[in-house]
Amino acid sequence: MKIAESFRISWRSITGHKLRSSLTAIGVIIGIAAVIVFMVLGGAFEANIVQDFEEDQGDPGMWVNTQNTNQGFEIVPSPIYTETDIQTLESIDGVEFVAPEANLQASQLSFGDTLQTGGFGVQAVDVEQYSEEDMVKGEMYSSGNEAVLTQAMVDTLGGAVGPGDDVTINFEGGVSEEYVVTGIVEEGFGSGPDAAVFVSLVDHYNTTVETPRGTQEQAYSSLIISAEDASAVDSIKQEATEYFETDSDAKELKQEEQDIAVQTVDDAIDQITAVIDQLTVFIGGIAGISLVVGSIGIANIMIVSVTERTREIGVMKAVGARKRDIIQLFLVESTILGAVGAVLGVVLGLGLGFLAVTFIGWPMAYPVNWILIAVAVGLTVGILSGIYPAWRAAKVNPIEALRHE
Amino acid sequence: MQEETATDGIVTLSEVKRTYYLGEPVHALDEVSLSLPEGSFTAVMGPSGSGKSTLMNMVGCLDTPDDGTVTVNGQDVGALSDGKRARLRGSELGFIFQQFNLLPRLTAAENVTLPMVFQNVVGESRRDRAKTLLTRVGLGDRLDHTPPELSGGQRQRVAIARALVNEPSVILADEPTGNLDTETGSEIMELFAELHDDGSTILMVTHERHIAEHADRIIHLVDGQIEEIEHVTENPPVQGSETA
Repeated sequence: MKIAESFRISWRSITGHKLRSSLTAIGVIIGIAAVIVFMVLGGAFEANIVQDFEEDQGDPGMWVNTQNTNQGFEIVPSPIYTETDIQTLESIDGVEFVAPEANLQASQLSFGDTLQTGGFGVQAVDVEQYSEEDMVKGEMYSSGNEAVLTQAMVDTLGGAVGPGDDVTINFEGGVSEEYVVTGIVEEGFGSGPDAAVFVSLVDHYNTTVETPRGTQEQAYSSLIISAEDASAVDSIKQEATEYFETDSDAKELKQEEQDIAVQTVDDAIDQITAVIDQLTVFIGGIAGISLVVGSIGIANIMIVSVTERTREIGVMKAVGARKRDIIQLFLVESTILGAVGAVLGVVLGLGLGFLAVTFIGWPMAYPVNWILIAVAVGLTVGILSGIYPAWRAAKVNPIEALRHE
Repeated sequence: MQEETATDGIVTLSEVKRTYYLGEPVHALDEVSLSLPEGSFTAVMGPSGSGKSTLMNMVGCLDTPDDGTVTVNGQDVGALSDGKRARLRGSELGFIFQQFNLLPRLTAAENVTLPMVFQNVVGESRRDRAKTLLTRVGLGDRLDHTPPELSGGQRQRVAIARALVNEPSVILADEPTGNLDTETGSEIMELFAELHDDGSTILMVTHERHIAEHADRIIHLVDGQIEEIEHVTENPPVQGSETA
C-alpha cells in the first residue's frame, strides 16, 4: 500500500472524529509548546545578557581572578597577584596596562540626608586606568580623600551629587571616612556593581604578602589587563595564561584547589550562556514530561480506535489488506496526530514566548534547533505511541472482526 | 452422500478438515471436497453450525484447513504466507457481506476502489473504474455519497461493485439479502443473475430456499459434511425481470 494512500485514509479517519482528534493533539501541543516557550525565554534571556555585555564592553581586555576548582564562577577574594606579576604582565606585547582591582568592604554611603546601604561597591583604583574621555564631569582624584562616582551611583543617590560635594562612606569594621567628589565617570571597571565609588589605590590599599622569594610585596585579589587593541586580546590571553601556569607568584601563593582564570569578555559570555543553556535544557526537560503524557494520550486513543474499528480492519483484510498495510494505516494516523501536535505546539510556543519576551522587554529568540527537535520529537511520539495499537490492529483476526458488532 | 472430485475448477477443496476446539472438538468441516467450475453459481445451505461460514472462510482465504487442500485459481491457499494470502484475497476474491461492511467515512467510489489501494493500483484509472462499476450496479449518480447517505439496497450495490473491482475469480456472498427487505433483496438477486450471466463464478451462503434457487446448484451442509448437492433445473423468475 502506497504511503500517500494511507495518508488519505488516515486523514479521513482523523477528521471523522474531530473532537477526539483535537483533544488528542492538544496533549502533544501543550507538551511541545511548553518546551518551546522555555527555550524562547532561555534564548531571549541569553541574548539579553550578551547584549548587555557587549554594550558594557569598553576597552578590549580581560580579567584575571581566582576561582575554586570545579566550582567555576565563584571568585575567591584572596590577594595572590603581586606587583612582580603585574610588571611581568605589563611587559607582554600589546598590553596597554595592567590594573589591580581592590574591593574595599563598605557597608553604607551617605550624601546629605540620602543613605545608601549595600548595592554599591567601593574600589581602590590606580589613577592610570582612566583617561580624560572616561570622565562625564569633573576630573580624576589626586589625593586620598577624593573620590570618583559612576553615573549609576549618582542616579542611586538621587542624581543631585556632583563634583565638589561631600560623601561619607562607612567601611565594615566601623571606620567612617569622608570624601570629596571630584568627578563622574560613565561606567566602572571590571566586574563590580554598576553603582560604584572609586578611590585612590595608593592611599587606600596596603595588603602585602610574602612572595616566594621571601620579600614583602603588595598583592591584589584580581587584575584587569587592558589590550592596546582587540586583535591583541587572544595572544595576550594565551601568554598571560602561560605565565600563570609557570612562574608567576600567584601560582605559588594560591591554594592547591584554586585556579587562576584569565577571562575575556567573550569567555565570560560563553560561561554565562553555558549556564543559562544548562538551566534552559533542565527546565525544558521538565516541560518535556508533559510530552510523555501527550504520547500516552495518543496511544490511548489509538487503542480505543483499534477496538472501535475492529470490523473495518476485518473488512480491509478481506479486501486484500496485509498486516503491514494495517500497521501502516494506524502508524500514519498516530504520526499525523503527533506531527500536527508538534507543528501547532511550535506555533503556540513561539506565540506565547513572544508575548512573554515582549512583556519582559528581552529580545525575541527563535530556538531553531529546538523547533527542529520538537518536530522530530512530535513525530517520534506519534510513531512510538502508534506502534502497539498498530500491532494490535494487525493482529485482528478477520473472521472474528467481520462478526464483530 | 455425494462428493465431487476436486480436479478442475477455479476453486477446489479436497478432503478439507477444519476442527475448532471449544471445550470439545467441533468438526466445522469434515473431509469436504468440492469444486467450483468457472462461471458456476453455487449456493450453500444448512442449519447454523453446519460449517457454512467455515466453508466460506476457506474459499475466501480467511482460514486455512487443518488437513486437505484448498486451491484458488491454481494456488494452494494453505501453503501461502499470511501476506500472500491477503494479496490473493484482494486479487482473486470479491466479498459481499450481509452487513454490507463498507467503510463509513469513505465515499461510494472510494469504497469500491479500496481493494485496488491494497493492490497498489493508483491514478485516475481508479475513479473511472469506480464510475463504470457503480453505473453497472445502478449507482452512477452516487459516486461521492458516503454509506450513511445511502439506503441498505444502495449500500449492498456499492459492496457488489467493490467485489467486482479487481475482476476476481470468485465472488463470495454471505447472506447478501439477509439485511434487506424482500423487494430490495429481489433487486440484488437480479444483479447476481446478471453477474452470473456475464460469466462470474459465485459462491453464496444463504438460509433462504428461494434465494438459493437462483443458483445452478445448492450444496446442503450438515455437521460439516456435504449431505446433498442439488442441481437447480429452473431458476425462479426475478421480480421485474424476464432474463432470469
